[in-house]
This record gives sequence, C-alpha cells and structure tokens, in this order.
Amino acid sequence: MPSARVIRDIKARHGVNANEIARRAYLFIARNETLSPQVRHHAQLQLNTFGRYTRPTTVKNRCIESGKGRGIISEFGLSRVSLDITSSWARLDTLPQPKFQFRLKALKGELPGVQKASW
Amino acid sequence: MAAFVPPSRLRALTQLRCSIFQTSYNPESLRTGAKYLRARLRGPSMVGYYPATFNIPEIIRKYPELEMVDDEEQERLQDVIDRRRRGKGAPKKAKSKADSRRLQKRR
Repeated sequence: MPSARVIRDIKARHGVNANEIARRAYLFIARNETLSPQVRHHAQLQLNTFGRYTRPTTVKNRCIESGKGRGIISEFGLSRVSLDITSSWARLDTLPQPKFQFRLKALKGELPGVQKASW
Repeated sequence: MAAFVPPSRLRALTQLRCSIFQTSYNPESLRTGAKYLRARLRGPSMVGYYPATFNIPEIIRKYPELEMVDDEEQERLQDVIDRRRRGKGAPKKAKSKADSRRLQKRR
C-alpha cells in the first residue's frame, strides 16, 4: 500500500494529464502580448480557477520503492537511502530499518549499467 | 563608410527575410505565447512514473461475482468494532458547525 503522499502525488499526476491541454491554451492566451489586455486578463482568471492538483509544479518525483521524497536518484526513481517498509511489516517487533534501495538493487544487478566503483 | 540605409528599408528587408525563411515577422519582439503551444505535453509521461501496484480492494470491487474477501480490511473493521465496544472508538463525525464546537469545549 503506497503512502498518503504517494497517493496524493499520483492524484496530481492524473490531474495534470487531464487538464494539460486546456491549461496550455489559456496560458497561450494569457501570455500572448499581441492580444488585448482584457482577453489576457480573462484567460488568467480562468487559469486561476484550475485546482491545486492540475499544476505540473505540484508533481514530485518520489522514490518508487519506498515513497521517500528526498535524495532521489532521478535516472532510477529510487531513493539514495530509504526505509524498507515492507520488511518491517513482516516483523512488527522491529522499527523500519534504513535500507539502501539504490545500492541493494545495483548490487543485485537490477539496475543495468550500474557498477560498484573501485579504484 | 557605409552608405546610409533608411530604417523603413531595413524593416522591409527583415519582412522579406521572414517570408522567405517562413519565420514570423515580429519587429517589436512581443511575446506571442508560442512556447506554450510548442512545448511537448508532459502529462502522459508523468502518469506512468510509479509502477502499477497490486490493489486488492480494486480487484474485489471489479469482480463481485467471485465473492472474494479482503482479510486485512475485515480485521481492521473488527478492530474498530472492538474498540468501540470498549468505549475507545473515534467520536462520531460532527454534522454541523455547532456540533464540532461542542466537542471541542468538552475536551
């Protein structure tokens, strides 16, 4: 089960996708200096009526394994260090331990082209 | 020394150049908002960022004829019932503003 923040992010992603074309059209009118100021102002007011989760800036790339929001290595969508929540569910007596999602996956060979450095 | 070229002639030259190379003639350099139309749509790639997860409640809702039961959800509901029986349940949702004010005062 993904965390609430991930669910919110998914919601934002779908909202952006559904409203992108309409928003672009209004943006085009609002930012077009060759059109009359009244028309541009109306377009800007329309843009303001769109909800919070229709703006692309509300979307955040979170860790696809753990849902963590910081320290994401963007090529892989994985957190540098993240809590391994699934294994802590299996054993309720322990707190979630930090797991190196990126590191573990790379060592297992699940990330093509990633090698352990040695010099 | 270069010969004096009147601005109107230079403007005409630019206009001609634009018509030849199929670019828009915009002598005042006004913002046309074209970049919002030219940019690629980002939504489709945004939607597919997270890998699809196995959603048990959704599958149960999709096939009601199979009469599957979500054990975890049943356990949670049973817990809620047990807690309520012991008087430890969550308070009822306030129906009006007055209700929520009353609940706050009691605390």
